[in-house]
Amino acid sequence: MVEVWDLPLRIFHWALAASVLIAWFSANLLDTVHEIAGYTVIVLIAFRIVSGFTGTRYARFRSFVRPLPVVLRYLGQIACGRTGRYLGLNPAGGAMSVVFLVLLAVSTISGWMQITERFFGVDWVERLHTWSSNLVLILVVVHVLGVLLMCALQKENLVRAMITGRKRARDE
Amino acid sequence: MKWLIKASIVAALSLGVFGAAPAVADGFKNCTKIAKASWKPASEAEAAAKAAGYEVRKSKVEGSCYEVYGVKGGKLFELFYSPEDMSLKHTKAK
Repeated sequence: MVEVWDLPLRIFHWALAASVLIAWFSANLLDTVHEIAGYTVIVLIAFRIVSGFTGTRYARFRSFVRPLPVVLRYLGQIACGRTGRYLGLNPAGGAMSVVFLVLLAVSTISGWMQITERFFGVDWVERLHTWSSNLVLILVVVHVLGVLLMCALQKENLVRAMITGRKRARDE
Repeated sequence: MKWLIKASIVAALSLGVFGAAPAVADGFKNCTKIAKASWKPASEAEAAAKAAGYEVRKSKVEGSCYEVYGVKGGKLFELFYSPEDMSLKHTKAK
């Protein structure tokens, strides 16, 4: 076994998942809870962006962000069951991470704008927040399904790996 | 078997939390019981807010209320008016 996901990254991942879910369920219901969850997400994604440049090997953007053609080709390979074995994020997971960070940034920033005097009650801000937040939720579903699919195809427990940080070492 | 018990406890707690949420929530929705066809226009709610000194940003229907987004003294408010008699039912400071 080898450590792939360092502790700060794992804490970040589960704290983000919890915050996003809390924000989702408290929307239009428990304003203060919703806002605190949103601010938490901003701090978390700021941390992740920094660690994408300065973190451990598998946390860095350079190790998993791939051009779109590579991502599309990889998706085609998965459809044929050829997953390869990536210790860190595979190209599809890498693309998802980037899209997630962008959408979360748009959602949290537009949400924050809504409670500033300048943008309170302004339609385009409200619509942007609604749309980006809905897309985040759709992406969460895609993420969970994608992880479960990869678990089945690669025959390894990727959820446990995000808890312990460890995976089977690279196949020789 | 043990995981089933644990999962059931988590599910029960979750239902409890989300069930209790409306009791402590501030999603205000009930202002009138009369039919929508009998409602006064939303512009009257905005006018009422303006008359009360608010800068009106927008209004929308929220449940059976008109919800007006108003700014007063640099502070942000959501004002809930009854479409029946334009009485102010609830004010939420943001």
